[in-house]
Parts: sequence; C-alpha cells; structure tokens
Amino acid sequence: MAMTSKEYYAEIEKVYKKPEDYELAGKGNAYVRIDAEAKVTGKAIYTDDVDLPGMYYCKLVRSPYAAAKILKIDFTEALKVPGVKGVLTGKDFPEGHNLGNPEAFKELADKEPLCRTQVRMVGDEVAAVCATSEDAADEAARRVKVDYEPLPFVLDPFEAMQNDAPAVHYPGTNNISMFTTMQSGDVAKAFKEADYTDKHYYQTQQMVHAAIEPHGAVAKYENGEWTIWTTTQGAYVSRYWIAWGLGVPESAVRVIKPMVGGGFGGKLDVFAHELCPAKFAQMTGHPCKCILKRDEVFLGTRTRHPISFEIETAFTKEGKLLAKRCKHILDGGAYGGSGIAANTLSLICATFPYKVENIDMTARRPYTNKPAAGAMRGYSACQVHFAHDVHMDTVAEALGIDEVELRRKNAITPYYTGPTGLEFTTCAFDETLVKVRDAIHWEDKDKLPDGTGIGIAGSGFMSGTGFPVLVTPHYCSASTLVRLNREGYATVFTGANDIGQGCDTVMTMIVAEELGLRMDEVKCVQSDTTLTPWDAGSFGSRVTFLGGNACRRAVGDAKLKLLTHWANEWGCKPEDITMKDHRVFIKGDPEKNISFNEACYGYEEKNFGRCVSGVGSFAHEGDKDIYVKNRGNYAPAYSFSTSGAKVKVDMETGTIDVQDFVFGHDCGRPLNIRAVEGQIEGSVLLGLGFACFEKCQYNAQGKHLNPSFRDYRFPTALDMPPVKSIICGQPDPVGPMGAKEAGEGSTAPVGPALCNAISKATGLKFHRLPVDPETIWRGLKQKRETGNVEVGLEGLAEKFANMPDVKPFRPQVKNPAK
Amino acid sequence: MKRVIHFNLNGDPMECFVADNKTMLDFLRTDLHLTGTKRGCEEGECGACTIMLDHQPVCSCLLLAVEADGHDITTIEGIMQNGKLHPVQREFIDKWALQCGFCTPGMIMSAVALLNTNPHPTEHEIRDAIAGNLCRCTGYTKIVEAIGAAAEVLRKEA
Repeated sequence: MAMTSKEYYAEIEKVYKKPEDYELAGKGNAYVRIDAEAKVTGKAIYTDDVDLPGMYYCKLVRSPYAAAKILKIDFTEALKVPGVKGVLTGKDFPEGHNLGNPEAFKELADKEPLCRTQVRMVGDEVAAVCATSEDAADEAARRVKVDYEPLPFVLDPFEAMQNDAPAVHYPGTNNISMFTTMQSGDVAKAFKEADYTDKHYYQTQQMVHAAIEPHGAVAKYENGEWTIWTTTQGAYVSRYWIAWGLGVPESAVRVIKPMVGGGFGGKLDVFAHELCPAKFAQMTGHPCKCILKRDEVFLGTRTRHPISFEIETAFTKEGKLLAKRCKHILDGGAYGGSGIAANTLSLICATFPYKVENIDMTARRPYTNKPAAGAMRGYSACQVHFAHDVHMDTVAEALGIDEVELRRKNAITPYYTGPTGLEFTTCAFDETLVKVRDAIHWEDKDKLPDGTGIGIAGSGFMSGTGFPVLVTPHYCSASTLVRLNREGYATVFTGANDIGQGCDTVMTMIVAEELGLRMDEVKCVQSDTTLTPWDAGSFGSRVTFLGGNACRRAVGDAKLKLLTHWANEWGCKPEDITMKDHRVFIKGDPEKNISFNEACYGYEEKNFGRCVSGVGSFAHEGDKDIYVKNRGNYAPAYSFSTSGAKVKVDMETGTIDVQDFVFGHDCGRPLNIRAVEGQIEGSVLLGLGFACFEKCQYNAQGKHLNPSFRDYRFPTALDMPPVKSIICGQPDPVGPMGAKEAGEGSTAPVGPALCNAISKATGLKFHRLPVDPETIWRGLKQKRETGNVEVGLEGLAEKFANMPDVKPFRPQVKNPAK
Repeated sequence: MKRVIHFNLNGDPMECFVADNKTMLDFLRTDLHLTGTKRGCEEGECGACTIMLDHQPVCSCLLLAVEADGHDITTIEGIMQNGKLHPVQREFIDKWALQCGFCTPGMIMSAVALLNTNPHPTEHEIRDAIAGNLCRCTGYTKIVEAIGAAAEVLRKEA
C-alpha cells in the first residue's frame, strides 16, 4: 500500500539531525553568507550588470497627467534620432492581457502593459523606444509626442469615495477597489457593558521601498524563447505575468533572478520595464535592457498604502480589551496588483498581538490617481500597529494602568485562536515585552528630564504567509531539489528568491547541516525558472518558514534514500546512521564508517547509476478563498515582537535623538543569529524612516514633488541609533529547525515605540505620520499657545463622518484571463 | 566631443578616448565593464557609485570621465592586493555587514578612504565617513562594527 504523506514525513523526520547535534543552525558566527565575497569584491552580478553583445536600450515614455485620454502618439521626431531601433505602444500587446490579480478579483487585473487609451497617474507608461545606446533612447523618448485630453482626477482617498468623484477605473463604484469586513462576537453588547470606551483617529503617509538598486530588466529572444534577467522577488511570479502580458505560453519564457539589490515588497509586481524590453528583443533580434532612473522608481513602481484609521475600543476598568470597532481607509493609488492583500492584512493585524473577541471592522481601498500602492515590508502591519499601538498608550493613560502591564494583560498566549480564525501556535510575546521593558530601563520612565522619553510597542506577524498575492491560480508552495554528488558535494536547487535577506545562505546551511558537509561543499543554484522548482516568491515572511521547510524536506528525502540503502547494507535502521564531517557512520562502530563520497557511490552502484536526489515542498494548508471570506488561518505560525525606544527631543527645534533602541523578537530558533540581528537592525531603520522621516509629497495636479533621495530622505548612518536585539521564544515545532520569521514583523513595532517615546518626551499626542522635527516643533508651539496636545487630527473625524455608505461591489469586468 | 585622457586605473596606466559628457560611472560600467561600481541614483545622493579619485572618495556619477585625466582612480575592483581581500572586505564578510550588497562596494570604498587617512576612527567618525552611503537593508550597525574591526586589523598590520 502506498505511504500517506504523514507516514512519509514521519520517516524523513527520523533521519533529521537532532537539535543538540546542530553545528551550524542557531549559532552566531558558524558560517558566513555564501554571496558575501562576490558582493564585497564587486563581482556579484545584478540585473544592470548583465551586459550582452549587441544589446539595445529601452526607455519608457510616461504621462505628465494624473488622468487623461491618449489621443495620438507621434513617433516621427523620435525615429529621426540616430540609433533608434523600435517603438512600442499599448497596441503592441494583446488586448485584455492586463496585469494584476485576475483570479480572486478579476477587476484588480487593471494594469495594461502600456496604457492603450487612458492614463491614470503621473508617470503611467504610454510608449517605449529602443536604441543602440542609453543616450539615444533617452533622446528619442523625449521626442515622442503624445496628445492628451486631460480628464478630471482625484488624489484624496476620501474624496475618491464620494458619489460624484471622477472614476479612476470603474464608474459607479465609488472608486472602491476592495471592500473587506471582519466581524465576530457581540460588539454592541461589549461596548454597552464596558467601563471605558473611546474613539480615535490616525493617519499614515505614503512611503516607498527605496531599495538602492533601481528596478530593471534585460531580455533576449533566441530559438523562440525569451530569457529575462529581472529585479524580481519571485522569478515564477514574474514569469507568469511576463508570459501573460506578451500573450505567450509560460514555457516560452525563462526568468532568471540574478542578485537583487533589495526588494522590501517593491519588486513583486510586474511592470512595463520588463515587458517592453522583452517585446523589443523579439522585434529586433537584439537583447534589450531597461533600467529605471531613480525618479521612475518613485513614480512607476509601488508605494506603501497610506491608511486612515477610525478606532473605537471597549475595555474593562482593569484593562481587559473587550471589543474593537474600526474603519481602515487604504489609499490604493491607481492600480491593484500586489495591493490585493492590503485590506485583509490591515484587519487581521488589528486582531493581534492583543486578544480581542468582539470585532466589527471594515477596510476600504479606494483607487486614486497616484502611484499604485502594493506590498511593503510589514505589509499593512506597520501602519496598523502604529495606529493601534499608539492608541494602547492612550488607553493606558486613561485607565491609569502601566503601558507595559496593559499590553501584558491582553497579550496573545500560545495556541490561542483569534476571532477571524488565526491559529496561533508558539508565542513568546509576553517574554518580548518583559525583556524589552527591563533592557530599556522602563523603571526610569517617570524620572527622565523634560524632552526625554521612553516608549514601548508590540506587534505580531504571519510566519510563512500561506496565500499568494499575485498568482492566485497557483498553489502557494515552496519547493526545492537536492542532488548528492559522489565527488563529495551536494547541489541545492532552491526556488526561494534571495533579494538580499540571505535565503540562499540559509538553504545552503540547511543542506550542509543535514548532510554533515561544509558550507562550501553545498552548491546553491539561485532562482531561475528553467533550473529551480516552483516558488511563490519572497513576500509575507514566507521564505525561511516555507522555503526552509521545503529545503529540509528535499535534503531529508535524499538523506532517507541514502541512509535506507546503508541501513540495509549494515543491518540497522536509517536513523542509527550519522552524517557528520563528510562521513557516514554508526557511532562507535569503526567498521561502519565511510566517506560521504563512498556512501553516494555505493548507493549509485546498487541503483543503476542513479544519483541520490531529493524533492521537497512545503505549503500552508489554508482556505484559498481567504480574500473573499476574510476568515481563516493565514499562516502556519506567527512571530511576535516588542520595541523599546528612548528618545531625546530638542524642545526648541523639535529634532529627535534616538538614544537607545531595544528589540525583542520571538522568531523561534534563529537559523543564524547575525542574520536575525541584521534583519532587526534593518527593520529599525525602516521603522525610523516611516515614523520620523519619509513622505511622498504631491502637488495639486498629482505630480510627485520629491522623487529623489535628496528630497525623500531616509536615515543615514548618522541618524541610526544603537540597536540591541534580544532573541526570545522557543524553537517552533513546525518551523524549519524550529525557526519562525524575522524580517517583516520586526518592522511593525518600531514606529509606534518611537511615537510613544516622543509623546512621553513632549507631552504631545500624535495622530499622523511622519512625526518629524517640523511636526514636533509645530505641536510644541500649538501646545504653548493653545494648550492643545493633539497633533495631526485636522479634519480626520469629519472625513470619516462624511464618508458615503459604500457597499461591497463586484463590477462585471470582462477578463479573458480565465 | 571626444578626447584622449591618461590616468591610472587601479594602479595601471590607461589611455582612453572618451566623450566630454560621459560620467565616470558610465565610463567604468559601460566602456570598461567594471560593474562593481553601482548605479543607484545618478545624482550623488546614494553613494553606491563611490570610487577614489587620488585617494579621496567621490561619487563617480558626479565626476566626468575626462576629469580623471592625470589622476589616480581606484574602484572596488582595485582594492584587493595580490589576490588577497582588503581587511575591510574581510570584516564585511565576517561581521555580516551586508545584505543585498548593492551599497556594499561604495560603502567599502568610503571606509577604505577613511582608514587610509585616519587609522583610529571613533564610531562617530566612521558614521560620518559613510553618511553619504545609503543602505536600506542593514541599519548600518554591522557596517560600523566591521569598519571598526578592520581599523584594528590594519593597525596591527602597520
């Protein structure tokens, strides 16, 4: 009888190395990144470093209007530029082959590769040119003459929802791209019985990922097949959309993910700068490269959703959270794409890390004529935890309860199930709170001088998001192949996409650990749709958890085959055999001790020359309709974090000096301590930028005013505080070697901890991000002059009050996708 | 307009024919295929393209190639000696002072330039020296640590 999956995995688990024998996992400096030497010598190849003979350069032509009809595109002058080889418009791509997410929400597949008849934001792509040099392509693009008829547009998400607002996409829908509700328990009863109720407003700003590597792609077309090197967080996801946009089978497109210079969620979607060079490569027979300029990255890629919040809560006088009502308005910008998950995530993030049984929550994602919002590191969590955790401090003050104790009272506990079906497993949230409280010297909080303050905030995040954001037809799995070579090494073909976080190193480590090989005896093949197996991409903190488990299962599968063979030879069980230091042996038996090479050779000899190989896959078994039902378990595990910040504010100028920052993170067993610290330290940078520095500014015509690193400033080495990381928790029973996520969730509590600290330092209450020196200076002035300490509330309550009663809708959109 | 320039590139004499309006960054990457110097913003803000002009760190996107005439240019490809990693490179590896690696070559050039003139930098001096090199991944913590450790190695070697 065939084995069940449960029996099969039980067999594999028997041959896994025991935690007490780990030589690499869970250590600090036991190994270094496998890509480190290539990166410090400048030899690492990123997309812009791919240089092919005869290569042409592509430049996109972008809309100067927030909304307009395209009347005519005239290439006459552009074609006169010496070296120009081709031009493209939207009509060169098959009609109806829009980019987005056609499965769960057809109408969110709303982005044409190049706009055919209408532009929806400043920077929307309307045409492309290619030439023999970058300069010639630039010049030709400048000379493309596009006649537009400007249309009414809307920039503010609340105005966009009004009945008379101009339609960004679909008339009669109040511009709502997504409407999500989550309800549980009896909210009205809880509010009635509560000792304390409140209603507060918050708002976050538009931020961008600002990976130092700009987006880009290089394409070649040979033998009827495209090869595309691109700055992607998911080679398979990119392949799906590039093939779809070109109107060709996926088998005709190979996507190679070279080194990627940071993603943070901004390199998940598929863009014109990937499709246009692909089309040009086919048209001209020459390879073609398109690398965006920095301003184009701001205008034409993705942003973090600005969210406006109305939060009502009900507590007992002892501080137990009874119920929460909230409304989240997410500014979606002009398109859907990876923005599909934002609503759902914003609501489920509001249900933890604090227990709440009674909820009534809605999220609306209106379209506006601004750059599209999408996934960004700590997707929705950063905004939600800013609002909901700054709010916790307000409640603590009102109830006269210590801020840390209020959080501890309501903290999620292990194996608790949330009101929307989140099934928490291991959870050391309380431990993170206590350890950060002690390390930041919380006991001193009331003894600090004016202008100095300590703040704390908590958060949680999915570990191994079980659902795709861009390729819903696909199973959201991660998979890996491992091959053992009798010449003394192993090769791992990982589908996981290393975008800088270091997952190639993690996968290599898992294989080396299990096989008893050195790190340099495991060769890692990076994500490439021709070479490596399916993976849904690097997002949702899924790589270590899902990809790591897939990798461990793959090496486990190979190890089980090898050890079963030798167990038969030696008359023992597979689990009696150890693999360590390049040897395969039974402990204490010198007769049964052979080299890794001999072990592989012996296996091959008995198996008609077939090599030892393993296949592994891992997926979260969840309800694939989660974005429709808004109920269910989002991930196989959850991480928990607490941030503690100590700030000193100059009460005259409003400048902020972050003197100390402590981060407690429950990530299960850290697979490498330096790597986890690196993720936390980077999270603090993103959180500090979000809370105190960064904001995209627009003029009244929807033109981006600061699309450069000069005018969009984020923290430099001089702005960053020292960061103390405290790793908390216990190994997770399902995570690979006990690990949980440590990269996204860790960004979420940083902002609110800083805001809470600045509040303590200044006596001001902040409702709007960023809390930059100017905001503080104005707030202090307002406090002096009027006594009002609330900062950033202007007009928010009225905007929520005047919101039309928008119903969920599903416009009938013809989409030939499925 | 194009003109002939003479300069030393990573210690080797070069004679090149370059356009007046070509930046050093484009010249290195496109004409000389030295792609270790990275293109991040092309307006002197991110520092990913940092090289050394006569031992001073400069953004190669703000330098015209013709300005190199008669000068010494050092790029990330030129700081290994006899096939051995520079101590700053070694410490970046050992301290996990990189993630995506895109800012790393420029960051290392700024660090090497600092240590060439200041063998005893304070933490603040290190942070100041790399303040023009943006990193979005690491939070700079481990970079500062690595540069401090490299300074110590260099002091011992001296």
